[in-house]
Amino acid sequence: MPTFKLDGKSIPFEPGESIIRAAEKAGVEIPHYCYHPGLSAPANCRMCLVEILPAANQRAMMLDIVEWDEKLGDYRTIKKPKLQPACQFPATDGQEVLAEQSPHVIAARAGVQEFLLLNHPVDCPICDQAGECKLQDYWLEHQQTPKRMHDEPVHKPKAVSFGDTIVYDAERCVMCTRCIRFMEEVAKDPVLDMRERGNLKEVIVAPGRKLEGHYTFMTEHVCPVGALTTKDFRFKARVWFLKSAKTVCQGCATGCNATFDYDPRTNKALRYRPRDNERVNKFWMCDEGMLSYRDVVEGRVPEAQVSGKTVKIERALEEIKKRFASVQKGSIAFVLSAKHSLEDNLALFELAELCGSRAIYTSGAPAGYSDDILIHADKNSNTAGIQNLAPDAKSFDALLADARAGKVTHVIALGGAAPTDDVSALEGLQGLCVVAAHVGPLTRAASVVLPASAWIEASGTFVNAKGMRQLAEKGTEPLGSAEPGWKLVAKVAVHLGVEPSWTTLKDVRAMLVATSVPPPEPSQTASAE
Amino acid sequence: MAQAFPKKPASPPNAVTVAYTEKTPTVQSYLPEIFKGLGVSMSHFFRNTRDMLTGERPDPVTERLDDGITTIQYPEQKRPYPQRFRGVHRLTTRDDGSPRCVACLCCSTACPAQCIFIEAGEYPEGDKRRGYERFPVRFVIDELRCIFCGYCVEACPCDAIRMDTGIHPVPYDSRDQFIYAKSDLMGLAARDGSHETANPRHEPGDPTHPGIDREHGH
Ligand code: SF4
Ligand code: SF4
Ligand code: SF4
Ligand code: SF4
Ligand code: FES
Repeated sequence: MPTFKLDGKSIPFEPGESIIRAAEKAGVEIPHYCYHPGLSAPANCRMCLVEILPAANQRAMMLDIVEWDEKLGDYRTIKKPKLQPACQFPATDGQEVLAEQSPHVIAARAGVQEFLLLNHPVDCPICDQAGECKLQDYWLEHQQTPKRMHDEPVHKPKAVSFGDTIVYDAERCVMCTRCIRFMEEVAKDPVLDMRERGNLKEVIVAPGRKLEGHYTFMTEHVCPVGALTTKDFRFKARVWFLKSAKTVCQGCATGCNATFDYDPRTNKALRYRPRDNERVNKFWMCDEGMLSYRDVVEGRVPEAQVSGKTVKIERALEEIKKRFASVQKGSIAFVLSAKHSLEDNLALFELAELCGSRAIYTSGAPAGYSDDILIHADKNSNTAGIQNLAPDAKSFDALLADARAGKVTHVIALGGAAPTDDVSALEGLQGLCVVAAHVGPLTRAASVVLPASAWIEASGTFVNAKGMRQLAEKGTEPLGSAEPGWKLVAKVAVHLGVEPSWTTLKDVRAMLVATSVPPPEPSQTASAE
Repeated sequence: MAQAFPKKPASPPNAVTVAYTEKTPTVQSYLPEIFKGLGVSMSHFFRNTRDMLTGERPDPVTERLDDGITTIQYPEQKRPYPQRFRGVHRLTTRDDGSPRCVACLCCSTACPAQCIFIEAGEYPEGDKRRGYERFPVRFVIDELRCIFCGYCVEACPCDAIRMDTGIHPVPYDSRDQFIYAKSDLMGLAARDGSHETANPRHEPGDPTHPGIDREHGH
């Protein structure tokens, strides 16, 4: 691999890569605002300037500038090398680049910072970017001086609604055009643009349009400052109080890598952010996915239910014992759910095996909208996972047909979701026990419901449409009396009179190794920030 | 190598050696010493009573710690506090009575006792600050947990929280009475009786605001 030298450190790069990207991959940050690894490089913020030493036997390009001389009491002309934007300048083999070691670069960074903050309102106490703002970070790293301009800054429109999801504050914007480029290049809907020049410049929405579509939240996420905020998150929390869990979005079969932010003091889910994984979602997530963090509390099954009445889990388990006492264990039907983790599904699959039942069906949410950017038509996060686990499982329609025909009388199912709303065929069953995190047609038809924890309340594994197995970490504490699904399945097993072979997450994970599910993906990230 | 233990520090030069009381028969028989002690108490009692009757008693309220009674009848009598005394918190208001606090949570972040709880919210539809700023929907301070360090006052970028009420928490008899809600905190006034801050801020849109913007002339 070719290499170049950055401040004397040798950095490898792929041919064609920019200096900033290669440095980033090698763990060296060159400060930047307009550069984003997933977008084109306009090189308009000038924060990433570096000094590139000329090749041997070539002369450097020098510029004549004037500098204030304190002793002389006058300006004098000096020469300085022409700096280059590292975000646009391709790395070449053997090149020597100076960043931290060049006094010109250090002066340029401080100068760019001061320039960007000339008219900036420094609203930090009310700005939702505070705590993760590039202006704050770089001020501390590269400037640390007050600005010398004492005029009142230019005031521009604040709190402009760009659509149903995004609010724009022109005063805070640093005109990096990341949001504009995102809409044009990734979302393929060039609805944002700029108008005016200089310090009157601002981002606008195309006349007669709103910022809308399936990828509006990403504009906020790529904005390096607090100029764009989402109506969903703004004014809700300060990021320094939040804890994050690395999770996998449950919105569809793409399985976008996400960071889930929650407030550990109140156990409150607050937002989703995309986590970079070039092989799954690159740097992006869709709006529906970003908002699906709300499912941690919305539409949940917080308590056990028997015939629609809330009861204690023990009471519900007694009811299962009673209802399933009359049936031959081998004839109980088991329904795996593509919306639950591999651990939960595996526990149920094991239970079916221990009972000697061959009646295994699958369920999951119905298909929906899809596009060719990220969104998958399959709205289940683990379809590939259960297909690998039980390749010859029968479909949900087969379950309805068998129930109508009287072949199935007792069902133990995972997950409330079903591909169809009409599950009346299941309502007449003698026993329908559902272990579910979220309500759905199945929980409504069930005689006994057990409250499973949602994906963010227990560590779990999911296999996405590409067959990649990904781990989702535990974040918030379970809602109500919810417990991990595999634990509940173990309790059900005990009440059915079988001895479960798993009691801990470790046991379940050990069983997972023996199945045909693909091995876990090494987490692969290259920070976008 | 043998460990060198730190030497006992020398007694300070102004130290007074306390004489060890000999175990004389009067000490060992207990009662005579009891009466001696009671005698000291009684002599203080009679002297103080006499001073009070003759009007010679020093004024403990002004903190004269000379001879005589130095206890005061709190809360009927109070010592004057220094100007910079940190008392119970208050939340300052703007001219229109709204809280100056923008719910930035700097105070609760700085608070070492973690006794400030703030829930931020957005101003309602129609308010001129809607969209620009947040405000505290709930602002609660547990005065019993507070260590009166004043960090919150230091941290506040808006001069919205102050400890210049001159009062310290009244001795309530239950814990929940020390939990001051936003309305309590906004209801408290500074020692001069004002609710506003001493450092008014020019708000965009105010006639005093020097800024030009789209709406106010370019
Ligand atoms: S963008 Fe927000 S947090 Fe960043 S410097 Fe500006 S006001 Fe402060
Ligand atoms: S709104 Fe944010 S992302 Fe868009 S140009 Fe301004 S600073 Fe850049
Ligand atoms: S005075 Fe100190 S302990 Fe009390 S609320 Fe303020 S920061 Fe917290
Ligand atoms: S009192 Fe001051 S520091 Fe505390 S939240 Fe309000 S504005 Fe911020
Ligand atoms: S990051 Fe290179 S110019 Fe903006």
